[in-house]
Amino acid sequence: MNEFLPQFLQQLINGLSLGSIYALIAIGYTMVYGIIGMINFAHGEVFMIGAYVGLVTLTAIGAAAGLPVWLLVVIAVLVSVLVTSAYGWAIERVAYRPLRGSPRLVPLISAIGMSIFLQNYVHLAQGSRDMPMPDLITGYLFQHEFANGFTVSMSNSRALIIFVAIALMVALTLYIGRSRMGRACRACSQDMGMANLLGIDTNRVISFTFVLGAALAAVGGVLIGLSVGKINPFIGFVVGVKAFTAAVLGGIGSIPGAMLGGALLGITETFASAYLPTEYKDVVAFSLLVLILLFRPTGLLGRPDVEKV
Amino acid sequence: MMISRNALGVAVALALFGAAAHAADTVKIAIAGPKTGPVAQYGDMQFIGARMAIERINAAGGVAGMKLEGVELDDACEPKQSPTVANKVVGEKIHFVVGHLCSGATKPAAKIYDDNDVLMVTPAATNDEITAMGLKLVFRTIGKDSQQGPTAGNFIADKIKPKLIAVIHDKQSYGQGIAEQVRKTVEAKGIKVAMFEGINKGDTDFSALITKLKQAGVDFVYYGGYHPELIVLLKQAREQNLGARWMGPEGVAVSDVKGEAAEGLLVTLPTDFSTDPANAELVKAFKAKNEDPSGPFVLTSYAAVQVIADAVNATKATDATKVGDYLRKATFKTPIGEIGFDDKGDLKGAKFEVYEWHKDATKTPAK
Repeated sequence: MNEFLPQFLQQLINGLSLGSIYALIAIGYTMVYGIIGMINFAHGEVFMIGAYVGLVTLTAIGAAAGLPVWLLVVIAVLVSVLVTSAYGWAIERVAYRPLRGSPRLVPLISAIGMSIFLQNYVHLAQGSRDMPMPDLITGYLFQHEFANGFTVSMSNSRALIIFVAIALMVALTLYIGRSRMGRACRACSQDMGMANLLGIDTNRVISFTFVLGAALAAVGGVLIGLSVGKINPFIGFVVGVKAFTAAVLGGIGSIPGAMLGGALLGITETFASAYLPTEYKDVVAFSLLVLILLFRPTGLLGRPDVEKV
Repeated sequence: MMISRNALGVAVALALFGAAAHAADTVKIAIAGPKTGPVAQYGDMQFIGARMAIERINAAGGVAGMKLEGVELDDACEPKQSPTVANKVVGEKIHFVVGHLCSGATKPAAKIYDDNDVLMVTPAATNDEITAMGLKLVFRTIGKDSQQGPTAGNFIADKIKPKLIAVIHDKQSYGQGIAEQVRKTVEAKGIKVAMFEGINKGDTDFSALITKLKQAGVDFVYYGGYHPELIVLLKQAREQNLGARWMGPEGVAVSDVKGEAAEGLLVTLPTDFSTDPANAELVKAFKAKNEDPSGPFVLTSYAAVQVIADAVNATKATDATKVGDYLRKATFKTPIGEIGFDDKGDLKGAKFEVYEWHKDATKTPAK
């Protein structure tokens, strides 16, 4: 037991922080789906753009140095949220709004097209090479050495991701549940046509959803970029697939579900990697996904009535 | 209608004639490697080396009365994209290729070249199978993994003497190939390999693997693969205070590998000829263009262009088979020394050496 416990704890921390990365992005997928019933496949790319904007901002203010680290991170996140939200708004305007009311597959294809477009756009504008992110968030939240000499640690950059993912999930749940705009969002998710008849500007609600989703992705992009230490135009695709899986696992449309799905996927991958050869981690994680969907087709926390795509 | 069609025919004929006349006084050499993608830095090394060779050979009068012309093509280091590049080379009737760079991308392309009578000299692909396929027109100006792996393995076993070693690879032809060679070598010398595992190319979280290495008490890790994954591995190993020493093949030796986490990393590289006094003038030419000649593939690419040029000069032929036959029997004086090729097209007497990498991305010979 004494031999087993410290490593188990460390793996649990590894799994949770990986899961939070998935969750942070999954929230965006799930929110858009919950409100307009469309899977925004370009969300991963919005995340990638968020990371790039963060890097550009850090590089730009890096010269003026002397600022404390937390302020640098806050500025990078804020600028990234602003710019990336504009992208989110524009994407909806260009690729989805003209297709409103068309068969469900049409905006889906449009979203995939948008995803490929954005990937190539950044590829051409920024080059396809890995760009290093500065090592800003250093240090550890805690480090504890166990009797057997094994040190369990959690770095600040990983702790920050877990904390931010939980905070955003809570804030978002409250906002959707309590605010006027949140109520409009819920109305739209129940019946778009009826909401429109009752005087809700549904186009505005949908625009808002995309802006909010993009803002969430931007926060994730900057923090995850800083934690990993490098970004390239393809990170959105790689993480996007996993985050989308997490959203489906947790029940797409459900915000706590995204968090749960992310954590479950991250922990499963980590433990598969820890106790089996690393090659098997995706096999195990996706087998689990298939199993859960066999028994709960709407995901862990999904409502059975949403059956759209 | 008839007239215009005739006019078109004449125009096409003229165009073709023009192309043919043009082709007579240049020898085209395709330079194929990654210009985009995560490992494009290695492509840079290849392109600057080859460009320099073409420039200098042309300045010295060209080959057999003709000028060399480089045609640069991007394979992004992707086995999916390299056959497209190869078919393009064949389609444009280019007889010589310097490239490709990544072993995974080289393999499918090499087959196409050989089938279509195109001669290929790779300055960088080290996977053994490339020449073991028995292709007559495939050469390389770099050693093989079966030379590089034992160099690394012997260094680990004789100099480092770790208690427990882990071998990690990226499941690609190059990374896994060399990782297997290293495992074989150290195991033969009685060092226990605790783990031999593959990671996914492009992944960004290896913390579970690092914890596992730490749990196993590994004090040395060999990584077979390219630098993007190694950078993350090193960073996350440092985050968890793994405390093991790392080593990798020449595919991790780029300037992006830097910082505290990279200090002390061991790398096997082809001997660095940029410090050879015989190359002083060439090194100055690179420096004048603000290019770094010390990258592992710069001078091997220079040499690849040069052997093709020398062979064309000597045989007065631009026929791939004749040039290939000449390559196999002659020796060439190049910046990477006096070289020759064996029957399979491998570099005779190829050598790798172990270097130690530093946090400012410089290297020194390892002791």
